[in-house]
Amino acid sequence: MNEITIECHNLTKTFGGLRAVDDVSVTFEAGKVTALIGPNGAGKTTLFHLISGALRPDNGRIFYRGRRIDGLPPWRVAQMGIGRLFQDVRVFGKLSALDNVRVAFRKQIGENPLWSVIRRPLVNREEQTLTQEARRWLTFVGLIELENALAEDLSYGQQKLLAIARLLAAGADVFLLDEPTAGVNPEMVRSLLALIRRLAEEGKTVVVIEHNMNVVMEIADWCFFMDEGQIVAFGLPDEVLGDRTVKAAYLGI
Amino acid sequence: MNYLWHILVMINIYIILALSLNLVAGYTGLLSLCHAAFYGIGAYATTLLMMKAGWGFFPSLFIAILLTAALSLIIAVPSLRFKGDYFVLATLGFQIIIFVILYNWVSLTRGPYGIPGIPIPKVCGIEMSTVFRYFLFSGVIASICGLLLWMLKASPFGRVLKAIREDEIAAAALGKNVPLLKMAAFTIAAAFAAVPGALFAGYMRYIDPTSFTLMESVFVISILIIGGAGSFIGPIVGAAFMVILPEALRFLHIPDAIAANMRQIIYGLLLIILMRYRPQGLFGEYGFE
Repeated sequence: MNEITIECHNLTKTFGGLRAVDDVSVTFEAGKVTALIGPNGAGKTTLFHLISGALRPDNGRIFYRGRRIDGLPPWRVAQMGIGRLFQDVRVFGKLSALDNVRVAFRKQIGENPLWSVIRRPLVNREEQTLTQEARRWLTFVGLIELENALAEDLSYGQQKLLAIARLLAAGADVFLLDEPTAGVNPEMVRSLLALIRRLAEEGKTVVVIEHNMNVVMEIADWCFFMDEGQIVAFGLPDEVLGDRTVKAAYLGI
Repeated sequence: MNYLWHILVMINIYIILALSLNLVAGYTGLLSLCHAAFYGIGAYATTLLMMKAGWGFFPSLFIAILLTAALSLIIAVPSLRFKGDYFVLATLGFQIIIFVILYNWVSLTRGPYGIPGIPIPKVCGIEMSTVFRYFLFSGVIASICGLLLWMLKASPFGRVLKAIREDEIAAAALGKNVPLLKMAAFTIAAAFAAVPGALFAGYMRYIDPTSFTLMESVFVISILIIGGAGSFIGPIVGAAFMVILPEALRFLHIPDAIAANMRQIIYGLLLIILMRYRPQGLFGEYGFE
């Protein structure tokens, strides 16, 4: 049994009359890729918002490695180790690819305005180390040649890889990936999937929202099916995808 | 020649104002309309300490900077709760509040009568009594401020501010304490804005609230728009340009009656043209949306 890192208990989130997340209880384990599937509007992204702190649950609690995290601001949750890949990527457009990764490192002395002036030599040395590290991550995702390109000039797929490099640099322990393969060409999808598997192999907790069932079959160790705010089915991917309710509600079979 | 030194003194003052506003508006993306308020607080605090407490220029300036920073924190906490346009409106509100206080707290500031007879700043006992000396004096101070602001901008601090400008949600998702960083940028910018206030007071030797109005805040923003926000050279070029422009127009022999109005028209036209064709300004990286 792998270690449970994220625990959600009885989460509910309502918008007006709509129950986006309805009494959801799930756990996610380290070293595994867990897929979160379901029709549009099922509440999958809302669940990510709740875990990452972007939204506060109306009811329920969320724990990360035993610590309660619901109600904390997003930056606090992220600092604790929960990283997020957004559906709309969200790279820092006018920063270079290299800067996008460099800004992601945590606990930078140079981000303190006082030290950036008074302890300049130390900050410069830290920068050198960070730049080397950043280049390693860019090479890891295959973007090293584009290190000086502005992030906004990269293709959608490249921006996704950049966002993943950022998460790696940030030292995330939990990766919440929202449709990582959407809009990415097939050959890059293959690199992405290999990357995602590697993350799990290195002990990270990876949760993936996906609409592409081939991707789910290929990389997921476990699967949750959500519909209308509730977890309707869960299990091994082929079990879930073989389930009759799932087939009717989602796969159109 | 005095004319030239005078222009350069004013350019030095506006360079510090523009570079400091650049930190909060160009780098962090927070369009603050109360920069002139901090300029004014710096001027008044330095003046009052020099005249009522009898302090020298530098000790007065030091305390003025601390006071301005403290006041900016009071303004930052409520303002930064607002996003985008509402933040701008909040700073607008504070700009007006500060002006009204300076204008009406007559027992402290002499209100609309202003404060005349401000002592000339002394450096090591030497009075900065000529325009040329004041040009050197303001030049050294502007260079020091410029160097410090450059160090802040060309650092991981500057970089994370830019990241916040580009996408504050993504920045928060990377664990950056966005509220604290915004406050830091805002307060540091305000503290630097106090310095040209002191320089202005020591140069003009007379200050009144009309030098620190909303229009002045807008003027500094125009410098950023024209020179370019988000870069380092943009605000410097912009400051020089905006100070020289009205002086250059003198030589066009526009009739006195309409000269001031023509200047406003030309500024306005320039801004409109730049917004349309080059929103990032002459040397900018970031165009305000």
